[in-house]
This record gives sequence, C-alpha cells and structure tokens, in this order.
Amino acid sequence: MKDWAFGLTVTIAGMGVTFITLYILTLVIRLMDRLYPYKEEKKDKGS
Amino acid sequence: MWNVVLSSLVSGFTHLTWQSSFLILLGCVLLYLAIAKGFEPLLLIPIGFGVILGNLPLAGLAASDEGGVLNIIYKAGILTEIFPCLIFIGLGAMIDFGPMLANPSVLIFGAAGQFGIFLTLLLALALGFSRPEACSIAIIGACDGPTAIYVTTKYARELLPAVSIAAYSYMSLVPIIQPPIMRALTTKAERSVVMAYGEKKVSKRVKILFPVVAGLITMLIAPMGAPLMGMLMLGNFLKESGVVGRLADVSSGAMVNIVTLLLGLCIGSAMLGGNFLQWQTILVFILGLLAISLDTVTGVLLGKLMRVLSGGKINPLIGAAGTSAFPMSSRVVQREGQKANPRSFLLWHAIGANTGGQIGSVMAASVMLAILAGMGIMPTP
Repeated sequence: MKDWAFGLTVTIAGMGVTFITLYILTLVIRLMDRLYPYKEEKKDKGS
Repeated sequence: MWNVVLSSLVSGFTHLTWQSSFLILLGCVLLYLAIAKGFEPLLLIPIGFGVILGNLPLAGLAASDEGGVLNIIYKAGILTEIFPCLIFIGLGAMIDFGPMLANPSVLIFGAAGQFGIFLTLLLALALGFSRPEACSIAIIGACDGPTAIYVTTKYARELLPAVSIAAYSYMSLVPIIQPPIMRALTTKAERSVVMAYGEKKVSKRVKILFPVVAGLITMLIAPMGAPLMGMLMLGNFLKESGVVGRLADVSSGAMVNIVTLLLGLCIGSAMLGGNFLQWQTILVFILGLLAISLDTVTGVLLGKLMRVLSGGKINPLIGAAGTSAFPMSSRVVQREGQKANPRSFLLWHAIGANTGGQIGSVMAASVMLAILAGMGIMPTP
C-alpha cells in the first residue's frame, strides 16, 4: 500500500471510528440519564 | 601519577562536546520557561533537569547508559509503557465528567478536535517520515503527553524525546496557540453567542456507571487503546464510587506526582545531543505545532456548523475545547467568549467538550495503533 493510501485509510478509519464511538456514547449517556434521572435529595422531616 | 589524577579530574570537561553543551543549555532554558514563564512546570522541570543530567559526559545518567539509575527507571517505566498508564489513572481520578454527562452532545467536539492528528499524519508521510514515525509525530495533535509517549514508545522510540517535549510544551502553549486561530475563524457576533447555562444536574448513579459503561464500549471497539482508556476509567471510577477515597486521593496526588517526576527525568535524559540535534527534530516540532493548530481549526469550524444547525444557540468557540488539553482549552474558550461578550459564560460547555476530547484522543490513538498492528508493523521490542 502506498503511503498516501495508508494515510488516507488511517484518516478515514480514525475519524470515522472516533466520531461513531463518541456518538454511541452520547446515546448511551442519554439512555442512562433517562433510566437514572437526577432527583433532589429528600429533606429531613425536622428541618 | 599526578598526571593521572589531574586528567581524571578534568575528564568531564575534556569529554564535553558542543552537542552535549548545547543540550545542557537547552535543559537550562526549559527550567527557565517552567519557572519564570510557568510553562507546564510539573513536566518541564523534571525534563529540563533530565536533559542536563543525561548530557553530562562520563556521568552514566543518560537513559541509554546501561546500568545507570535513569536507565533502570527508563526501562522499567517508559519501555514497558507503564508510566503513561499510571498517569492516566491519576488523570481519571482528577477529571469531572459531570458537565459532559449533563450535555452529551458536546462530545462531538471531542471528535472534531482530533482531526488535526490525521491531517498532520498525511503531511508527515508526504515529508518522508516512515509510517510509524508519522503516526508518532501526528499524535502530538492529541494534546496529551501520556498518549503521545505511549504511541511513540511503541513505534518510534528514537523520536520519543522530541515528541514528548513537543507535546508537553505545546500543551502549555495552548493559551497562546488557540486564541488567534479562534478569532481568525469567527466573527465577533459568533463569539458573542450566549449559550444557555442551566447547569443540568446528573445523578450519582450515572456518574458511577459512566466509566464502566463507556470504558467497556470504547475498549471493545478499540482494544489497542485499552491500557490507556481502562486506566482513565479506573481512575474516574475510584473518584466517583465515593467508597475508596484513599485510593482516589493517592492516584490523583502522590502516585501521579511520583510518576510525573520519574517520567520527565527519563524523557529528558533520553535527549542526547547526537540524536536530538537533527533537522528531523525541528520538523517534529513544526509538525506538532501544526497538528494542534489544525485541531483548533477543525473544532471551531464544526462549532460554526453547529451554530447554524442549532439556529444560533451554539457558540462556535466551544469547538476549540475539543482537544485533550484539559483544562487549558476550556479556560481559553471561556476567556475569549467573555472578551467578545461579558455576559457569555462558556466554561461549563467547554469543559464538557474538553473531557470529550480526552476520550476522543485515546480513541484516535487506538485506531492508529490498531491499523499499524493490522498491517503487520510490529511495535519496537
């Protein structure tokens, strides 16, 4: 494989995998946030 | 007999070459930059001192001097790739993924901020560097010292001193490198965009689950990066679990400080006049600067696109925080945003993009390593 072809392969694969992985993480984070949303701490009865 | 005594006393001076003298002077310059200018002192001081020690003639303190104290540490920590992994545990224990978890769409900037790595790879190949060398030089664009050291140790060990110093130096120069690029690519109106600041809260459970879930996903996609990603997520899990405070404290404190000291000393002591003072080293520094600059360019350009797609809600400056230079890039974005509009508060969003950049840089390095391994280009034994 010529050097320019190697470089192009690494670029496309590298950027592609990085983008896809971070997009998957975005979806996973949103899912986790839906499953476990933030709840305010319950105040003590006495306060 | 007196001749023997005298000659042994002055042997250090008589064996001093112009190359080693120059490197000793360079070591002093690094110390000056670290102390007087505040350029990444935690790294540049050990590196600078290591350069001085390594270039002293007949002292046996170069990383390549078999049996010397720094040679032993170099073999144990650098050649085994343990030091970058240990630093990543500490980094994970220091990082707060909260802003990113609150607004996960900023993760996309963490991907755009790695584009400079690959553009520089193409240029390094065009300039005649071998494939492993070009990958090692390009990874400077990850703006992450341990990642650069990890990749370069595997594939281009002879470039390790130049790549390490370039990576750490440019990380500390981010406040100088990024702003002119950010201003050149944006209008004042774009820089003035005020982003909604709601500081959405994230549950403790999500913060605990994230390092495990994200670690599993990223390591299954790119196993070659597992040593770094795994350690990063381990450190973060120690912090977020809330039940191993001692481990989190020592990881983010004593351990990372000790490893940083030894890493810097060894990197510096590997910078010997003969192999460092070459045109190749200058090219490494130029390409490294280009890589980080291009990261900023592509991040800001994506920011501009996101601004259009969001109907003007996103400030394009946060694209510049998609590098792994945490937290310098975030602070730069905050400062530039406030210069354009004092009512703008971008730090929260920028930190999210910055932590995304941390993950993105390890992913980019992992893919490079995977492709090199897939092509049969084996790591240096």
